[in-house]
Amino acid sequence: MSAAPGEPIIRLEEVSRIYDTGKVQVPALVDVNLDVAKGEFLAIVGPSGSGKSTMMNILGCLDRPTAGLYVLDGQPVDELDDDGLAFVRSRSIGFVFQSYNLLPRTSALENVATPLMYQGVSKKERLRRAQAALERLGLGDRIHHEPSELSGGQQQRVGIARALVTEPALILADEPTGNLDSHSGTEVLNLFTDLHALGRTIVLITHDVDVATAADRAVHIRDGQLREEVRA
Amino acid sequence: MKLTDLLGLALSRLGTGKMRTALTMLGIIIGVASVVALVSVAQGATKGISDQLQSLGTNLLTVSPGATRSGVTRLSFGSGTTLTLADATALSSLDGIQAVAPEITTSKLVVAGSQNETASIIGTTPGYLSVFAYKTWVGTFLNQASVDNNLRVAVIGSTTADNLSLTDTSIGSTIYIGGLPFQLIGILQPKGGTGTEDDRVLIPVSTAREFYTTTTSVSAIGVSATSQDTIDSVSAEITYALEQRHGITSTGSDDFTIATQAQLLGTVSSVSDVLTLLLAGIASISLLVGGIGIMNIMLVSVRERTREIGIRKAIGARGRDILSQFLVEALVLSLAGGIIGIGVGVLASFGIGTYAGWGFVFNPLTVVVAVGFSLIVGVVFGVWPASQAARLDPVVALRYE
Repeated sequence: MSAAPGEPIIRLEEVSRIYDTGKVQVPALVDVNLDVAKGEFLAIVGPSGSGKSTMMNILGCLDRPTAGLYVLDGQPVDELDDDGLAFVRSRSIGFVFQSYNLLPRTSALENVATPLMYQGVSKKERLRRAQAALERLGLGDRIHHEPSELSGGQQQRVGIARALVTEPALILADEPTGNLDSHSGTEVLNLFTDLHALGRTIVLITHDVDVATAADRAVHIRDGQLREEVRA
Repeated sequence: MKLTDLLGLALSRLGTGKMRTALTMLGIIIGVASVVALVSVAQGATKGISDQLQSLGTNLLTVSPGATRSGVTRLSFGSGTTLTLADATALSSLDGIQAVAPEITTSKLVVAGSQNETASIIGTTPGYLSVFAYKTWVGTFLNQASVDNNLRVAVIGSTTADNLSLTDTSIGSTIYIGGLPFQLIGILQPKGGTGTEDDRVLIPVSTAREFYTTTTSVSAIGVSATSQDTIDSVSAEITYALEQRHGITSTGSDDFTIATQAQLLGTVSSVSDVLTLLLAGIASISLLVGGIGIMNIMLVSVRERTREIGIRKAIGARGRDILSQFLVEALVLSLAGGIIGIGVGVLASFGIGTYAGWGFVFNPLTVVVAVGFSLIVGVVFGVWPASQAARLDPVVALRYE
């Protein structure tokens, strides 16, 4: 399943996500419309509590909208069951997290190979592809290191390698520089710019307006509503 | 996910917390080892008892006099005086009977040189040897001439010989039984077992009657059938013959009892079945406790690895992948524990069997059952924690600290 030519990778139509706490209903996203074209580098910018995390969960198929339509890479995902969502995450999405979220006590190579295991790729093939991904990110000499033996910048590059190894339609990065010093942060942002130049579709979620400038388009989120940024 | 991938995940996980893994398995190891060892002990004990019974001769029937009454009180089994030497002689002419050996039993002081002991003295006939499956070690056994002529000759069991310091060179020497001199003509081969069968002095039945009893009654009559298969028909024949001789109608109650080895073996095996079940039941409790240990560790593990589960789900794991991962982990724990437990159990039963003297009894079925049980324990106690893990919401799990 992939988007037809000219179709956006992501299409959100009137998407809402309302948390029902029993007593009150908390709207986290309200009637959000968004298209992300293939090959686009989009930043979603908003302060904490703006609905940013909910946006990330919905886009990442970790959560379902309570209303509205979400089409990812030609596949309507708002009505998929849990296994269906897992399948979409496995095939179409590569996550990059703020706190890296690497598997502890597991080598960089095994970490990067794990998404391929859930696709049913043979061990030999997935180790080969994981090693290639790590080498592309300049970690060829660190493949047998565990996360605790790597610096923050290196861990985040392992995280990016893990997101890339399945060749997903969408790379979804949640505050990828949030835990990094400015030097490492710049390096990571440069990596995203490079990936974008190679034609990858990237959605970067951040609170930092400066970080958002790395993207070629930015939308702002506040109180669960999106607003297109007008760039000078 | 492939099984090899699941096994790889389980082994690397269990390898990172070796102490915890070992302690968790210990519960299963103890459980399985005690099942294997206790079942083996029960079966070994049964085999020991059966072997002894077998050594008495499996085609043996023992006819005992019925209980006598003193007023309204029923005296002990075999205390009657209803069986006689004439009965024994009559039985020997029946079909399907190989040999008959009446027994007149008493207890006397036996003196040989400077040694003495109080031994069981049995007056009997040459048939005794084959009926009770004895063999002579040295010398000869009682013959018909010694019975016909009330000879004062004696054959002794191996334990008696040891106690009285009599050896193969003592054949022909004189021993004193209840003060009367007897010529020692033979020593029996040991039968093993508890030893009481090897501690006895055999003399001609006629001699025993002449010196040691006043009545014509015998304590018991041993009969051997020509084969084990004819035991039942021989038993019926003896019953009919004795009822005729004692003038008992078919509605009256018999004044004798016939016991067969088959009955005894049957009793022993039913007792041992109960014993085996009982011991296995007790041991299963420790297996259950071991299983709860696994469940406990798995639940803690799911809690500790909530974030890992969230990560795995985010990068494409389905609920059933997580379920399989945790279930295989529990199964590897319980199965590895089970296999080590079998090893420990086999060693323990070997040790106990050797110490107790019935040798090593090992039933492959026990292994199958023990492995099966540990797998079941793994599934039963692993499934709940694993399904807890599989059901975690990835959004919540990823935020878990």
